[in-house]
This record gives sequence, structure tokens and C-alpha cells, in this order.
Amino acid sequence: MNPTDQLASAPLMPFYVAAAIAAAGLLLVLRPGRAAMRRAGAVIGLAGFGMLMAQGLKLAGPSDGSVSTPFYMAFAAIGVIGAVRVITHPRPVFAAIYFVLTVLAAGGIFLMLQAEFLAFALIIVYAGAILITYMFVLMLAHQSPEDEIGRIGAEDYDRIPREPLVATLLGFFLMASLGSVIERAPELAMENAAIAQSRATADRAAALQKLPNTMLQQAKAKEPTATGLARDAGGLASATDGAMVQVRVNAEGDAVRTVQVNPADAVDNVQMVGLDLVAKYPASLELAGVILLMAMFGAVVLARRQIELGDDERRKAAGMGSMVLDVPETERGGA
Amino acid sequence: MMHLLADAAPAMAPTQGVTIALVLSAALFTVGLIGFLVRRNMILMFLCTELMLQAAGIAFIAFGRMRMDTSGQVFVIFILTVAAAEAALALGLVVLLYRRRETLSAEAWQELHEQ
Repeated sequence: MNPTDQLASAPLMPFYVAAAIAAAGLLLVLRPGRAAMRRAGAVIGLAGFGMLMAQGLKLAGPSDGSVSTPFYMAFAAIGVIGAVRVITHPRPVFAAIYFVLTVLAAGGIFLMLQAEFLAFALIIVYAGAILITYMFVLMLAHQSPEDEIGRIGAEDYDRIPREPLVATLLGFFLMASLGSVIERAPELAMENAAIAQSRATADRAAALQKLPNTMLQQAKAKEPTATGLARDAGGLASATDGAMVQVRVNAEGDAVRTVQVNPADAVDNVQMVGLDLVAKYPASLELAGVILLMAMFGAVVLARRQIELGDDERRKAAGMGSMVLDVPETERGGA
Repeated sequence: MMHLLADAAPAMAPTQGVTIALVLSAALFTVGLIGFLVRRNMILMFLCTELMLQAAGIAFIAFGRMRMDTSGQVFVIFILTVAAAEAALALGLVVLLYRRRETLSAEAWQELHEQ
């Protein structure tokens, strides 16, 4: 079999074709030209991305009957449209606003992947804080030029891209090589299904053992007379039994009752992420704090206005006397 | 517990959804890379690196969902931290550069090499 046949029979061939179509569309959008050309490029590019998603679905195998797939596709399309506008819009402030759109779409995807805490953290931190910083700097540094009749235009360096053809080609190769990872994804998901299944309850059950308040609340919902968690010699009297956690509580009249609590109902995403963050990665958390502190110092140092000091001021800052008074003008010339 | 739009069965990873998320992640990273190369405005070049960070975050969450592992989400928190630090420093530098040349074009600094 010669290399060409090998390539044509590769299972990823349609993926590469879709990536090429998307790249061609993106190239048309990137090049500064007639509006009609760019619109055609947008349609071609979107069709290419649609084909990429369709290829991803084909690689993912038969539908698992979940109704959420169209939502994923809608969010993905919104995210990519926003990203393409970020790199093509001639006015920087609008590019930053389109980045917010991409962040919102990513937040939607996070929400559906059951990362509820991060979905909102992402929107607050990225769209709310980081992007506002970008907006401030854009507005501080940059004034859009106006033409004779007062229409707001764009700077040349914002309108004319640098090497769009080379960049798009590079992008195509990157996307094509990432295709092999996407091809392996469903296989990985199948391999990890058992791990995921056991983790879904086991991790939450383990987390619940560390959250006595949550445990008591859940137990109280089942057993209204409960006054507190029962303790034995080993500590809190709770045990994991399959999918449920057995919680022993003190009830009225010194009775000890056993209540079954479902960890999937009791422990939510925020608690899981929080426990992971402080219990599993405490050193990284400290390091993140150091990074933020250093960034703050760096920003303060950078933002200070640099003032050119003359010889005299420099001498004064070093604690030496001024040269101006005691040295005659003619002798200072050589210094 | 709140599963707003998530699948009813929490344990099994939605294979199609995870794959779409990975396609989106790959596409965002690629668009970010292309943007970094074609954009000449220094601020927007940094914005494109944020796009790439975003793509990495989506991949982390998708793979974490596959294994029902919250470590992926914890790493995205660190990505957010680094992105915030990077934005502060990079924008500070850009403002300094802008004060020197009164333009945001990266090409204004082309001669920034050893003579």
C-alpha cells in the first residue's frame, strides 16, 4: 500500500478535510478584502467547524440517548464564532467584547460538564475582572482615529493582519494533529467509565465523612428528631455501605438511630472542588498565592512612571552633596 | 443537587458531549494561535494567549468529567490565577511600551535586537 492510499483510508481523513475547509474559511475572513468575500469566508468556516463537530460525534460512536448534545454543539459554535471575531475584528474594544462571548460559551460548556462552581467562577473572574482590565488598558492607550467626516475607523495595524496564510496553515496542521487526540477520546471515555462510576459515589462518600455539618443536615432531613451526630471511640459514627453512607445520630431520649444518606445528594460540586483544593493540593494553592503576590509587585513596579534623573538628583539620592553650589560651571563640563 | 443542564445520570460521561468539548478546545486553541500570529496589536496578542488558556481549561474540565475527577477543576482554578497574574503584568508592560512609542503596533518594536 503506498503512502497516498494509506492516508486516504485513514479514519481521520474526513476530520482533516473538515479542518482544511474551516481553515480556508478562516483565511478568507482574516484577509482584508471585500465584505462579500469575508461573509462567504464566515459561512465556509462555520460549515467547516460544523463538519469538525459532526466528525467528532461520528468518532464518539452511537448516541447515548442524552438530550444535551445539541446544547454542547450550540455552545461550541458560539464559542468559536466569538473567538474568530476576537482575531478578526478591526476594533480592539469589540474584539475584547467578543472574547466575553467566548467566555460565556465556555461557561455553558463547564455547566454541562458538571463543573458548576468553575462555570460561574470563570464568568466572574474572566469576563468580570480580567476582560475589564483589558478594556481599561485599551481605552487608556488607544484612541480610534476618525476620518474627515468624523466616522470612527481603525488603525492600520488592526485592519491588516500579519501573514494570514502562514498562520492559517500552521493552525490547520495543529488542528489536524489534535484530531488524533479527539479520535482517542471516546476510547478513553470507555476505558475510564468504570473508574468514573466508582468515583462518582466513592469520592463523594469519602468527602462526606469530612463534612460533619452537611452530614447532620442530611440526617436531620431524614430523621427530624436527630440532635447531633453520634460519636464512638473512632470518631464520627458513619460508614460507607455501597452507594449510601450510614450515619448514626443521637435522637431524642438518648436513642441512637442509623440514617442512610446519599452522598450524591449531600455533596455538591463546590464542596468537592474545595476539598480537593485544600486537602489534595495545598502546596499548589500556596504557590498560586505567591504568584499573585509577585504579579502585584511586578505591576506596581511597572506602573510607576519612570523619571529621568539628572546627575545632581542622582547624587542627592545617594546621600552626597549637590555639585551645583560648590563647583564652578567651567569645571563641571567634563564630568 | 443542582444539575442545571447536565445529564440525568451523573456517573457516565456523556461521550458525545465530552468529544464536542474537546473539539471546541482544539478549535479555540488553534484560533488563539492563529490570532497571536496575525494580530499586530500588542494588547490583542495577549488576548489571544488568553484564548489559548481558555482552551486548555475546557480540555481539563472535559477530561476531568471523563474520570469524574475534580482535580481537573482544581487545575482550572490555577489557570485562572496564572491568567490574572499574566494579564496584570502583560498589560503593565504594554502600557510602558505604549508610552515610549505612542502606538500599540508590535512592529514598532521590530528593531528590538542586538546591534
